[in-house]
Amino acid sequence: MGINNSIILPFLVFFPMLGGVVGYIIGRKNKNARDYWAMLVTLLTFGASLLLIGKEEVFQEAGICGLGLLFAGGGLQVILAVLTGAIWFITAIYSKEYFQQDRNRNRYYLFMLLTEGATMGIFLSADFFTTFIFFEIMSFTSFVMVMHDETQEAIRAAHTYLAVAVLGGLVTLMGLFMLYQKTGTLQMDLLQQFMAQQTDKSAFYGIGVLVFFGFAAKAGLFPLHIWLPNAYTLAPAPASALLSCLLTKTGVFGIMMITAKIFFHDAPWGNFMLVLGMITMLMGAILALFSINLKRTLACSSMSQIGFMMVGIAMQGILGEHNALAASGTLLHFINHSMLKLVLFLSAGVVFMNLHELDLNKIKGFGRDKLLLKVVFLMALLGIGGIPFWNGYVSKTLLHESIVEYIHILEEAGQSVLYMKTVEYLFLFAGGLTLAYMTKIFVAVFVEKNSHPLPVQKQGAYLNPVNKVILALCALALPVCGMLPHLTQDRISALGVTFLGAHAPDHAVEYFAWVNLKGAVISLIVGAAVYFLFVRTVLVRENEQGETIYLDRWPAWLNLEDKVYRPILLGILPFIGGFFARLAGTLTDGFISLLRMAIFNSDNARVVPPEDKYFSAYTDGETDKTVYREGFARSLLMIGIGLAIAMLYILI
Amino acid sequence: MGALITVLPVFFPILAGICLLPVRFKERKQREQWVLTIVVLNAIFALFAIWSGKAEAFTLFHFSDKLSLELHMDGLSKVFGTMVSVLWILTTIYGFEYMTHEGHEDRFFAFFTMTFGVVLGIAFSGNFLTMYLFYEFLTLVTLPLVMHAMDNKARHAGKMYILYMMFGAALAFIGFVFVYCYGTSIDFVPGGVLNPILVAGHETTLQLVFIAAFFGFGVKAAVFPLYRWLPKASVAPTPVTALLHAVAVVKSGIFAIIRLTYYSFGTDFLVGTVAQNVMLVAAAITIVFGSTVALRTPHIKRRFAYSTVSNLSYIIFGIALMTPLGLAAALMHMIYHAVLKITLFFTAGAVLYKTHREYLYEVEGFGRLMPVTFAAMTITGIGLVGIPPFAGFHSKWALATAAVQGGNPVSYLGILALIISALLTALYVFYIVVRAYFPRNKEYPEGYYDHVQDPNWYMKGPLIILTIASLVLAFTPGPLMEALQRVVMYLN
Repeated sequence: MGINNSIILPFLVFFPMLGGVVGYIIGRKNKNARDYWAMLVTLLTFGASLLLIGKEEVFQEAGICGLGLLFAGGGLQVILAVLTGAIWFITAIYSKEYFQQDRNRNRYYLFMLLTEGATMGIFLSADFFTTFIFFEIMSFTSFVMVMHDETQEAIRAAHTYLAVAVLGGLVTLMGLFMLYQKTGTLQMDLLQQFMAQQTDKSAFYGIGVLVFFGFAAKAGLFPLHIWLPNAYTLAPAPASALLSCLLTKTGVFGIMMITAKIFFHDAPWGNFMLVLGMITMLMGAILALFSINLKRTLACSSMSQIGFMMVGIAMQGILGEHNALAASGTLLHFINHSMLKLVLFLSAGVVFMNLHELDLNKIKGFGRDKLLLKVVFLMALLGIGGIPFWNGYVSKTLLHESIVEYIHILEEAGQSVLYMKTVEYLFLFAGGLTLAYMTKIFVAVFVEKNSHPLPVQKQGAYLNPVNKVILALCALALPVCGMLPHLTQDRISALGVTFLGAHAPDHAVEYFAWVNLKGAVISLIVGAAVYFLFVRTVLVRENEQGETIYLDRWPAWLNLEDKVYRPILLGILPFIGGFFARLAGTLTDGFISLLRMAIFNSDNARVVPPEDKYFSAYTDGETDKTVYREGFARSLLMIGIGLAIAMLYILI
Repeated sequence: MGALITVLPVFFPILAGICLLPVRFKERKQREQWVLTIVVLNAIFALFAIWSGKAEAFTLFHFSDKLSLELHMDGLSKVFGTMVSVLWILTTIYGFEYMTHEGHEDRFFAFFTMTFGVVLGIAFSGNFLTMYLFYEFLTLVTLPLVMHAMDNKARHAGKMYILYMMFGAALAFIGFVFVYCYGTSIDFVPGGVLNPILVAGHETTLQLVFIAAFFGFGVKAAVFPLYRWLPKASVAPTPVTALLHAVAVVKSGIFAIIRLTYYSFGTDFLVGTVAQNVMLVAAAITIVFGSTVALRTPHIKRRFAYSTVSNLSYIIFGIALMTPLGLAAALMHMIYHAVLKITLFFTAGAVLYKTHREYLYEVEGFGRLMPVTFAAMTITGIGLVGIPPFAGFHSKWALATAAVQGGNPVSYLGILALIISALLTALYVFYIVVRAYFPRNKEYPEGYYDHVQDPNWYMKGPLIILTIASLVLAFTPGPLMEALQRVVMYLN
């Protein structure tokens, strides 16, 4: 055990888990008490995470689970722990109203709190082994949260989620194992030292990709994103919020760790990240644009935003020493996106708890008369769209600047900038798409009229006062962070970037200078163009009453999960495996029966009788049948007897 | 006195079992009391013999100066003996309840008790001949257990069982004869007993003999292609499948292979030879094969039986690495797998006992109705997959580490097999668990869920104890690993 063992770190990880179990027991007696208990547990956890601020703490427990656990709290980890604590607390309060009419609440709360502990474990880990343990625990506990509604679709989505998680986890485990063999440690700091001494990293790329695989699967990177849209859409809204804000981010966190600790300042690795990030960013945005389901749009949007973060991570590698902008951009986008998606998914949850429906055509016009919800949603829209004075703008600007910086470096060196220019424009284009799809859902839910509104399923107000206050506060934080970037955002990033191996920028970034605003303006124009020229013309049509109908134009055959993964994993591979297993299984018997056919023509070549009623039968039976009549077994016995005789002969 | 301590746990249950054979108990309680007393008493004898340090080697019988029957105790005996003794008590308690639905309990428990002594005999045997004797005897006393139901299926399984075992014994006997001829003695000596002067010039022959003997003992350890009896034998009552076909019998095979490899032929003679490669390849093939077939098997008990086939070869793979680290990892997996698989079979048996459902598509939605049973299945199932921090992960990690450090290029094949198999294991375990908790909303006929509930404490108790044991082993693997490393240290 280390000397400066912290008590807060294990508390943050294990207290919610313990609280979950206690809550389960309470919930069997009293449901209300259980709800308040869950709030209390998350509140205490949040409070404990605040205690970490400004401290450097370590907790080590050697021997547990083989390689031991190692937690560290400092800089980045503290920020993430506070973020986790805060979001979980908000979600716990919100859950009480959301699940009011639901079944299986006890199970939900148990697994929600277990997942909180596991998520804390990931964010606080200072050792890839610890990360991995909690990563696996989180996959399993969150599986139950995704499955919560137990509809056919939810079960299917959850199965896909579990399959991807297990597959990814095992591949990562293999990578970690190889890494451990090569380096002798999985502690992040020691790994960083070890890797810094390596001049040739080419041997590590394969290992890196393996470790990366599981985290990428969790982060929803292309082509492992297949679980994400369905799981987010079909999970209950608080669970979707947690998935989007934190659970998926654990994957991003893992990738950040790999990039910062193993492939520090490594350009080839950065380029690899860049390609994946760009594809995910664009693909998510396009999928979101086509979706006609409120939560699905938000889900695909999460995917796209993770692509943005990946670009930031990639730029850290590519820029090498000059990665300050990229590092703080990644970190801030990580945090801002969590705040934004929290608001968005909770708002979507309000729609669902009132109407039990998410299809844009059916929920259309729900928010027309609900001013608070409308404003809250608008704040998040402006934030995620990267509009100046909202928080999303700050982080997107930083990410954009890091690309621009690299272009400058290339220009100075006299190299071709075509590739990076393309990256830059695609980045701005994806920003524009973000605006377009957000506008699409905003207009549908809050602006357009609906002549056939669905009956409201919820009793009382559409949202109770406590949750209204919470939503409003969360939404208020978005422009506050965006308008005071130096006071809020810069400070957060200064705390965290050292962990990513970057220094704070030499001078504060002038967020509201024209050179930086230009990117936002381009995105805004692109967004407006896409919305009016594409969404309003191609993706909708007008019915007789002059109302807009949203059309699902996404081609059904373009479904990676149904067309590629499921057939391969459930059809082709099991068939091949089964075929070879059966082939191998009949090899011995088949060989014998072939021999038998060759030697004794009369034999009917039956291999193994399905059952044998003559062996040791107590009843009267035919007596002319001998025991060892047929099959491989008889042949084995004959070989055995032959061998024994041969041995006797040799001995005598 | 020291000799008596060694001999007692072996012969007491055998004699007691023979005495039980003609007895027909009038009441269930009475039988339970007797059997439990014998088993617990014997477990105490065994554990005392193992851990008191007072046990001494004892020669039962002298045939000639080289041939004798001898019981003694070393590190390996202790590991195996402890594992068997602890699990035997739990299985007996579980069996009391389970066997009420199979009938013929008198006969069953008589043979079951005898088997306890025979297995300890294998654990404590001090030379090849003694082990061979008990090994054969084990086949005979377990045959009535396998054929217990005495219907056509059971009799067929019994026939398969005995023929495979006889074949294996014949091959193993060759090994014995050659150790007798080419060794300095037939005792188990760490590092082997082969006499280098005699061996010179006959290396190839001896390697071939080793391969033959490996497959001979491998029959009980269900090495491909000699695995067939094991899934068939899952027609036996669950306590038998759980204890004998996941722990005692199959691990006697493993134990014998360890004795053969490390104590008779010696690793110095075998390392880097064809024999080692054959072992590694056979293990790798069996690992993947067992898991693949398990995935395609809808019958729950047979699915677990195939899983056992696969997992036994994990252990053989560790043995075949022929390094102390490899053996320690193998022993670790032996213990973990024993605890995990016996629990899984117990849960399958609980379902069978309460509901008479045997196929996995029949147990959909049972998770909530049998909470203890399926919680145990979930926890041990995740352990079997090897997902940290649950049991099973550490042993697989240790196996893979040992494989890399062994440096034999063939052993990388084994690592590949481990990974593929881990994935397949995940699939075949989660399929049951997930379906049990989240049924596919099918319409079931009325009364489908009648009687679906946890069994009583006779069965629940062992399940809970074993599940907790697996968790304890999972979270504190350190002491166990150290103990095992002490055991294998003598090999250097």
